[in-house]
Formats: sequence, structure tokens, C-alpha cells
Amino acid sequence: MDLHRLGIKVFCAEHGPLDLPDLIPVFHRFIQGSSLEGLLIDVADYSHVHHGPGILLIAHEGNYALDGSAGRRGLVYYAKRHSGGTLAERLATVCRRALMACRTLAEQPEFAHRLVFSGEEIQLFANDRLLAPNTDRTLAALRPALEALCDRLYRHRTWGITRNGAEPERFSVTLRASAPIGIDDLLTHLGD
Amino acid sequence: MTWKDRLAGTTAPELAREIDIFETQIDLKKQGKVEDRLFAETRLRRGVYGQRYDNGQRHDGVGVRALRFPAETLTKGPETLWDAPGMQRIKIPFGGLTPEQMGVLADISEEYSDGICHVTTRQDIQLHYVHIEDTPDLMRRLAAVGITTREACGNSVRNVTACPIAGVCREESFDVSAYARACAKFLLGHPDTQDFGRKFKVAFSGCQHRACGLVSMHDLGFIARTRWNDGVPQRGFEVYVGGGLGAVPYQAKLFDEFVPEQEILPLAQAISRVFARLGEKRNRGRARIKFLLEKLGIEAFRELVLAERAALPEDDRWTALIRDATMQAPSSPTPAGVGPSDAPAPGLRSWQATNVYAQKQAGYAVVTVTLPLGDATAWQMRRLADLARRYAGGDVRTTVEQNIVLRFVAERDVPALHRALADIGLGEIGAGAISDVTACPGTDTCKLGIASSRGLAGELRQRLSAKFEGLDPAVQGLHIKISGCFNSCGQHHLADLGFYGVSRKVAGTTVPHFRVVLGGQWEKNAGSYGLTIGAVPSKRIPDLVERLTQKYLSEREVQEPFRDFIGRIGKQALKPLLDELAVVPPYQVDRSFYSDWRDPREFTVSDIGTGECAGQVVSRIDFDLQSAERRYFESQLHYDRGDYRLADDTAYAAMLEAAQALIRTQFQDMSGEPDTVVGEFRARFCDTEVFYDVYAGAKFAHYLLARHADRDRRYSQERARLLIEETQLFIEAAYACHTRLLEKGPQGRIPSMAATPAAHP
Ligand code: SF4
Repeated sequence: MDLHRLGIKVFCAEHGPLDLPDLIPVFHRFIQGSSLEGLLIDVADYSHVHHGPGILLIAHEGNYALDGSAGRRGLVYYAKRHSGGTLAERLATVCRRALMACRTLAEQPEFAHRLVFSGEEIQLFANDRLLAPNTDRTLAALRPALEALCDRLYRHRTWGITRNGAEPERFSVTLRASAPIGIDDLLTHLGD
Repeated sequence: MTWKDRLAGTTAPELAREIDIFETQIDLKKQGKVEDRLFAETRLRRGVYGQRYDNGQRHDGVGVRALRFPAETLTKGPETLWDAPGMQRIKIPFGGLTPEQMGVLADISEEYSDGICHVTTRQDIQLHYVHIEDTPDLMRRLAAVGITTREACGNSVRNVTACPIAGVCREESFDVSAYARACAKFLLGHPDTQDFGRKFKVAFSGCQHRACGLVSMHDLGFIARTRWNDGVPQRGFEVYVGGGLGAVPYQAKLFDEFVPEQEILPLAQAISRVFARLGEKRNRGRARIKFLLEKLGIEAFRELVLAERAALPEDDRWTALIRDATMQAPSSPTPAGVGPSDAPAPGLRSWQATNVYAQKQAGYAVVTVTLPLGDATAWQMRRLADLARRYAGGDVRTTVEQNIVLRFVAERDVPALHRALADIGLGEIGAGAISDVTACPGTDTCKLGIASSRGLAGELRQRLSAKFEGLDPAVQGLHIKISGCFNSCGQHHLADLGFYGVSRKVAGTTVPHFRVVLGGQWEKNAGSYGLTIGAVPSKRIPDLVERLTQKYLSEREVQEPFRDFIGRIGKQALKPLLDELAVVPPYQVDRSFYSDWRDPREFTVSDIGTGECAGQVVSRIDFDLQSAERRYFESQLHYDRGDYRLADDTAYAAMLEAAQALIRTQFQDMSGEPDTVVGEFRARFCDTEVFYDVYAGAKFAHYLLARHADRDRRYSQERARLLIEETQLFIEAAYACHTRLLEKGPQGRIPSMAATPAAHP
């Protein structure tokens, strides 16, 4: 499937209060230091919006956000432009970018011990209702690539894939491993 | 499969064809076969707008950095890079939306934008961070549900707006929705509207006294009137022309007290023809129809239009469109929804007080959904569409206060709807009240933004919402409107408390400020505009709002509205407060003043490093420009006292003083004689274009040159008011020019100019 607008959400636990606007200077710093992959452009503040994209780090290839959709905070990365490679490679790329962003964010002094990302539950979505409507057919078509991704990420753990919601919401699935796994491990697995 | 294939046959053929043509133009531009300016106007006319940093330059807080987009040299307009994210404006005539359309807006915001649908101050929807190559599909999906983006920007007829409660308002003459729809349809792509020098905005209002239609600030405005002929009611409109905000706001002039309904479209066509033929084309700063009216006078303009009207070839659409539109089923009461909810959600009573309006149709209500800063997520938009279907018969409007209204809600369903709205985070109280701050995009995304209007609006909203219920009702009902620059997209002229972004150099560092505009009138279709009283650092605006509202409460007379209070105490009495708050602490003491709200970047970090001593020096020009400001302030006081001649002359003197301040940076010993000042100013700052604003060009310089040339000036209240507005902009431009020269350093000096007279009067 020639699907490019793929996104990942990695959920986080907050140990201590975290105001979304606290992210703004951090994301500006990321731009200054080119700390994340992609051409980083600007920061968009949607902290006033209920369960919204929170604070966005706008980039050319795709956006990063500390997102609060569905009432759960998590780091989101979604691709906006076409990129090369196979579907499996594109899935791996968005995953890696999201996970790298989680790691970088959690390392910031402002968030030390306050923002903890965990890898056993990951949401994957497609911003493309033409190629990937939120149906069982889309899931069936994507399943081989998703299973390959889960095998790669979760290695010897057991895992499951569940489709979320229904149309007109965008296609999204939750990848869930049977045991906790950290961001660094996931990145190591992806890198292998 | 593409969206084009998928939607084939679902879209009106002419809409589909237009989009195909636009897609072809995109391809041709990529192949280098379309010239930049032509392509820019082409995409603007499809609502595809530029966004901040699209020239590939961005100050990241450390320095200006190049944004290296993949298509490095490809452009989509002059100095506008192809790959830079842009804004898509989507016209929503009279703000009317169906749930199906809301669903598509939600989908495209998620797929091509940042997942946010933003309601603008003219009832449009805007999407940000959109790539130009995604726009044809985005347009196709909108076209499939009857929405066009055609002529949403550019020199064209913009979105036709109307009261969001038209058809359900207890005070309207009649429902103007159908007329607004007919007018939008008639003028869209009309051959007589394709050759304007500037944009053209049209509005409809159902009555004279409320705010909803804001007719007075429009190029062309219609207010519903019913006339009785031998006991038979006849529908028509009071027609106004030549209003507009922008840098200098103009009140629309009465064109005709009663134009019968079947005449409004030919009249709009005739006005369009006159504007296209005689309106300014080269100088954008004077190309709106308000300047044509100023030049011709309303009588001569009316004569020209009526002659044009008489010569128009007959067009069946004049009556057919009105007939079709008025025959379309009006909003009709829907079966009541689910009835009272189990238990009311907390805050129902307060929410009802500010967000629910009893319709003229007994048993039904309009519910205003307060959107913070005009933003709704894709998910919220879909849920709102569901609620509109369930509770409002699908009858939805956007508002110029950046909210959404659901109409024909059965009164007994209001508690259930409130609960449902609260569940999706949209149950906030205070629609149209002080906490419901309106703001343009400002520096968030607008290329012209000077200060962060949304950052300030977000901050004020948060503070005022937290204490809203404890505020005095007289304060609760005030309006705050914020623009990121003088262009007034946030409609600051119409607010009780209006602000627009400017900047000031403080000890060599740029500090974001807002000009304060007080006492505008929102009601009576934007009945009067506020006057500017001074600039305050951005970070002190919340204090100003607090202190000003306190002052109002403690010093007002019984039942005295804020606007009258400001008029009564006068600007002189407000000056000490403004002066006190205008003080900017040194950088070393409080750095927060040197960055904007919710944007930690310091504007000129490198300047800070130039040395403490230099930082403390206040140069002569700072004093001189302040003196010009003081004189400008005096002109306002003369104006308030009714001495329009003196106000006019003092404003002119203030402009001369500001010009002189600039000239003195190069030529110390110049005389203050007006001809000399203007001659030197022209030679040093106009001929060299040093004074020219990057976007407004010669506009501000023209204010001084025109006033100076007006030797036989005919003084009037209106002329004095306009000149005062122009003076304030001229002084701002002088500050900006000075800042630009400072930032350029020694090479910013005009090389050919010696410290001797440059001009020969
Ligand atoms: S007022 Fe200025 S900053 Fe705001 S949208 Fe208009 S041009 Fe941009």
C-alpha cells in the first residue's frame, strides 16, 4: 500500500505536574539545536484546546507534538510528505522518529523524572482516508506490515494489534506488548 | 485511486474544472512556466495564502537561520518558497455550515493541516501549515460538499458575512441569510469583480442596533429594512459603502436608505464595476474602495454607480438567485432531541446566561459554543457535527467572534446539549464576553505579525476565565480584540479594549508592545471606532486590563457604559496609567519583557551582547520620537474637545516632528520649517525608500506628504479623525524605520547622504 501519512503516538506517564506551555521553550531549543530529525520550522501552541494536539513542533517532513487527544498524553510524530522506501521502512521511520523524540524530550532537565515514556502500548494511525479508511479491510491490508513491525519492536514478547474506533475517525490501531518495554530497547530493536 | 477519481461526478462540473485548472497551474509553476507574481495571485484567489517564514528565513532566538527546504529554489510567489507551509482559507458564506461539511473540514484539517479548524473574524475557516501540493485534493473534498475556496484571498470579493442568528433573531427585520447566500453566489467569479485593485468585503445585517453584521466596517454593507406600501410589506436594504478597518479605519457611508430586495444584486454589480474602473491599482495602500469614496465624495460616487446601474445589461440572475435563495427551506424547528439530561452538568446556569439566546421561535434557543481562540480540533468538529444533527437540525453558523452557534435547539434540550458540549471540552461560559478574547493569527502564522496576538489572547483568556464569575457584570460584558499589527484583522478598533502589536527599541533591544485602542463600539454594526492612546509592553497588557477595569468600576457613573466612561474621563486622565505601565525594566532585571507571550525567543539576543554602557544610552531620536508621540496625544485631546482644526494641525505637526527626528540622525542642524522637513524627508527617506515598510511600501510616508501638500485644507471632524489615525501610523513607521536602521548597523546609514541639506525645497 502506497501509504505515507503515517503517525505514531507513544504514551507517557507524568510524575509531577506538567503544563503544556512548559514544552514551548524546549521545542524552540530543539529547533536551535536541530535536536530532532527533519527540517524543524516552528512551534505551535494549542495548549488552550481540550484534548488537542497540545504543543506542536512543526517540521517539513512531519510534525512532532506532545499531544493530548482522547485525554491521554503522548508523544506524536506523523509524516506529512511522501518519503521513499517500502511500507515497512516507512513504518520503521515514523516509529524511530517518534521514539527518538521521546528519548530526547525525557532527557531534558525540565522533565527529568517527570515525563516517562513507555513502549508497551503504541498507537499507529494513518492520516489518509482515501488509502486507509478506518475499516477491517485496511487492517487486513496493513496487517503483514504491522505484524512485521511488532515482531521487530517487541522481539520475543507476545503482542497484539487492535483497531480503534470506526469511520469517520482516521484509521488507527494499538500495538500492545504483553510486558513493559522501554524506549531505548525499542530503539535498539529498530536499529538492528 | 485518487481523490479526483473518487469524487468524480459528485462535484459541480465548473467547480471540479476550476480545481483541475489550479492543479495544472501548480504543475506548470513547478516546471518554471508561470511567472511568480501571476502564480501568487492565482493561488491567493484560491485561498492559498503564505505563512510566516515562507521566505525561508527564521530568527530562532539566536540568529536568523535559513530554512533549507528540499525544493530549495522553487518558489510559489515572490520570496515565497514552494515547500514552506502555508495557510488555506476556506470561505463559509454567512458562516452557514452543515454537519456534513463540518465532517469534511475535520478530515482535511487532520490529513493536510495540524488537526485544528480555526474560525476567523470573518466567519471563514482557516487551516495552517498546509503544503501547496495538497491543496487541489483538499479543495476537491470541500467542493464535494458544496464549499469553494475560490476568491477567499487576493483582490476579490471575500467571504460574504451575515449575522449568525439571522432567521432566529428577535429583533431582525427579516432573515438576511438567503440574501447573503445569493450575493455570495452572484459575485463569485463574476466578470465585473475580477479587476479590483484590492479586496472587497460584503456584509449583511438584520438590524441597525446590534453588532452582528458589522456593516459599518465593510466595503459594502446591507441592513435589512421593511417598508410598508399601502399596507403591504416590502423587503429591502439600507445600503452602506466604503467602510473598512485596516491601518486607518473608515466608517461606511450611507449610499441609499432603501434598496428593494430585487435591486441589491444589480447594485452590487454596478458598485463593483465602478470600483474596478476607478479604484487605485498601483498603490495597494490606497486601493480599497474607501479611498475611492474619499476621493470622489459619496454624492459623485453615487451618481457614477447609478449611471452604471442604468447601463447594465439585464441579467436574469438578479432576481432568480434572490428568488431561489429565499425559497430554499428556511431553518425549521426540529423534533426535540433527547429531552432533559439525567442531571445537569455543573455550571449550567452560568453557561445559559452567556451562551444561550431565546429565539423568536417560541421554545427554541441558539446555543453559542465558545471556541478558545477560535480553535476546534478535528475530533471536536466531528462531535459538534453530531450534536448539530441531534439537537439543532443541522443548523450551524460560524461567528465573527470566532465561535460556532447551533440554532433551533429545543429549550428542553439545552441542559443535555450543555452536558454533551462539556464532555467534549466545549462547555465554556462567557461567549462574546470579556474572557472570549478575539485575536488574529499574529506572529503565530501571519507574515505581517509584529507581536503575538494569540499569545496575549491566550494569556488574557486564561486569567479572565479563571475569575469570570466573580467579575462585575459591567466588566463581564466588555469586548477585548487583538491584532498582531496595524492591519486590524483582529478588529481591535471595534473593541472596548483593543490592542495591536508594535515594537519598541529599549536600550538597543526590541521589546514587543501593544498599542492600546479604547472605546470602540461593537454594537450598532460597529458604530464607532476607538482611538489609540499609547503603547504598553506586551507583558504589561494583563495588568493594564486589570487596572483599567478597576478604574472603570470605581469611577463610573450609574449605568455608565465603558465607552462613555472612556469618553468622559478622556485620554488625559488615562495617560498616567499608560505612562506608568509603559516602563520597561532593564534586561538584566527582568528578561521576560524582551520576549513575547508563549514565545521564549528573544528578538535581538545579539544586541544584548553589545555592552552594558551602550545599552543604557538613550539617543536623541528616542526623545524626539517621544516628543512626536506627545504631540500626537495632544491632537487627540483637541479632537475630544471638539476643536477639529487644532487637532488636525497638531497631528500634522506631530508627523513633521517624527520626520524631523529621523532626519536629525543624519543631519543635526536642520531647521524645523515644514517645507525643509518634508523636502529632507522626501530626499533622505522616500527617494531612498528607507522609510518604506516592507509590506505597506510608501503608504505611511504618503500620509505626511499628502497632508503637507494640502495647503487649502478643508477642516472637518472626519478629516481630523483620519489624520490622527494616520499620524499614529506614521510615528509607528518612524520607530520601525529607526529600528531597521539600527539593526543594519553602520551600513544602515544612507551612504549618499551627507550631514548637510539634501533637499532643495
Ligand atoms: S492584523 Fe496583522 S498580524 Fe494580524 S492577521 Fe492581520 S496582517 Fe496578520
